[in-house]
Amino acid sequence: MSAPLLQVRGLTRRFGGLVAVSDLDVDLGRGEILALIGPNGAGKTTTFNLIAGVDRPTSGTIVFDGRDISRQPAHARAALGLTRTFQHNMPFAGMSLTDNILVGRHARFTGGLVDVILGARRLREQESAARRKADELIEFTGLGARVDADVSTLSFGEGRLLEVARALVSDPRAILLDEPAAGLTGAEVARLARIIADIAARGIAVLLIDHDMRFVLPLAHRAIVLKFGEKIADGPPRDIVNDPAVIAAYLGNSAGAAHA
Amino acid sequence: MNGRGVHALGWLAGMGVAIGLAFVLGSYHTDVYRKMLIWVAMALGFNFLFGVAGQIAFSHFAFASVGAYGVVILSHQLGLPFGLAFVLAIVICGLTAFIVAIPATRLEGFYLALATLAFSQLVRVTIDEGGALTGGTGGLANYRLPPFFGVDVRGPWYTVCLVLLVAFTLWILTRVDASWFGRACRAVRDNPRAAEAMGVDIARARILVFVMTSTLAGLAGIGYAYVDNVINPAVFSLENSFLLLFMIIIGGSGRHVGAMLGAVVLYLAPFALEPVAGNHYMLVFGVLIVLAILFRPDGLAGLLRITRPGKAA
Repeated sequence: MSAPLLQVRGLTRRFGGLVAVSDLDVDLGRGEILALIGPNGAGKTTTFNLIAGVDRPTSGTIVFDGRDISRQPAHARAALGLTRTFQHNMPFAGMSLTDNILVGRHARFTGGLVDVILGARRLREQESAARRKADELIEFTGLGARVDADVSTLSFGEGRLLEVARALVSDPRAILLDEPAAGLTGAEVARLARIIADIAARGIAVLLIDHDMRFVLPLAHRAIVLKFGEKIADGPPRDIVNDPAVIAAYLGNSAGAAHA
Repeated sequence: MNGRGVHALGWLAGMGVAIGLAFVLGSYHTDVYRKMLIWVAMALGFNFLFGVAGQIAFSHFAFASVGAYGVVILSHQLGLPFGLAFVLAIVICGLTAFIVAIPATRLEGFYLALATLAFSQLVRVTIDEGGALTGGTGGLANYRLPPFFGVDVRGPWYTVCLVLLVAFTLWILTRVDASWFGRACRAVRDNPRAAEAMGVDIARARILVFVMTSTLAGLAGIGYAYVDNVINPAVFSLENSFLLLFMIIIGGSGRHVGAMLGAVVLYLAPFALEPVAGNHYMLVFGVLIVLAILFRPDGLAGLLRITRPGKAA
């Protein structure tokens, strides 16, 4: 069996005296949906930020597709095929919906400003390929009716779909979803779950963090449970829900119980 | 007719009118027209830097002076062939912009504004204290554009050169704006964090756009140097940098049409307002700017909006 697409080893992040993430190992395979769950303060967001490149680990390595990306800036990780969405939608407010999505394709354009000014043929081909891909994703996410809308008028759920489309347009190999279901209505959550399953079916690895177990567990192929920065369980969702350590972590914590 | 045809026809008609004007205007109006063209070229570049890329910089006229002084000093003071002086002046603008950009573009908003203000003052002091080489506060005069391949470029033909300068600037910026790089610039302006997450190297994008627009400002400066065949530090003063900012805000920030409209209207306005309001026309500008910010953030270009919201002009 080949090595997993994403291999995190001994990931540790200290903030002063606080150990937010401690000696964490994560494997994520192609086409796999992995959920990173745990009660508030478990270190999910810190882990997410370390993998996305917004934060740097105190120690440990993050290997993506055979390359150590632990110290790479976020934009370089995106260019390698590791993209993300934001929990709080972050659209480019002054741009059209299609252009918002096309920004996600940035790293796939080759050549410099001179090629742009001279209108190089390769660039025109890349541009039309990008537009085809963007149109396909508008269709895929069901944003077609809103394509001419000012992005600031999108509903929260539509904004989330825009985030997903923007993260997919570069044909990434892995996508990181930061609490994708947070703030969505029941119908929107169901639709998003179908979309995430489709993404994985295309062979794209999905890492999602969320504390809504009802959303995550039916969807994920595997789940990792964090508590106080440490991994307390790693396995298929049906094993996770019966794991005494997980039950204790969630039920022993009122914030977790409210979502479980 | 398809969109492309209409587009090409628009360019042709615009160029035809702009070039035609060069041949029908008298000497006084030619002077006004030429300076207006310089303002339009400056506004287009500054609009890309400020309106599209979101960088609040006040160094645009400083770079114009680097271009203007560069070409005049190299060709007339140091005696280099004009073609070489022209190319070197542009290269110097690009390099200077690159050196300023590396630290400056790490800064945002207020701090970038301060850093570029400081650079502008540095250029100003250098010119003031440059002795015979820069002509000091009095500037440089008594030079002429040398014949170009034996052709004496003067009169309406020099005006045509300035029309071509505007067209060249507009062409480059339109191309860049419609590309992945233009989208990256707007993305960095709207949300740097999200842009970075999408693979945009923010520092690189900011440096590139600063160097590109500052070099275009240098080119406009070179064009200006032969309008009156006089250059002096006052022409490149900070007041003009602020006027440039007002042109963009009133015209419609982030759109090429807006930049051009703003430049034409604000450059010509004093000619209309001065007989009525005397030197108080700046007061009228001030009121206009406040009104524009309050009621028409998309400026004059918003009044004749043909394209969809958010779409580039």
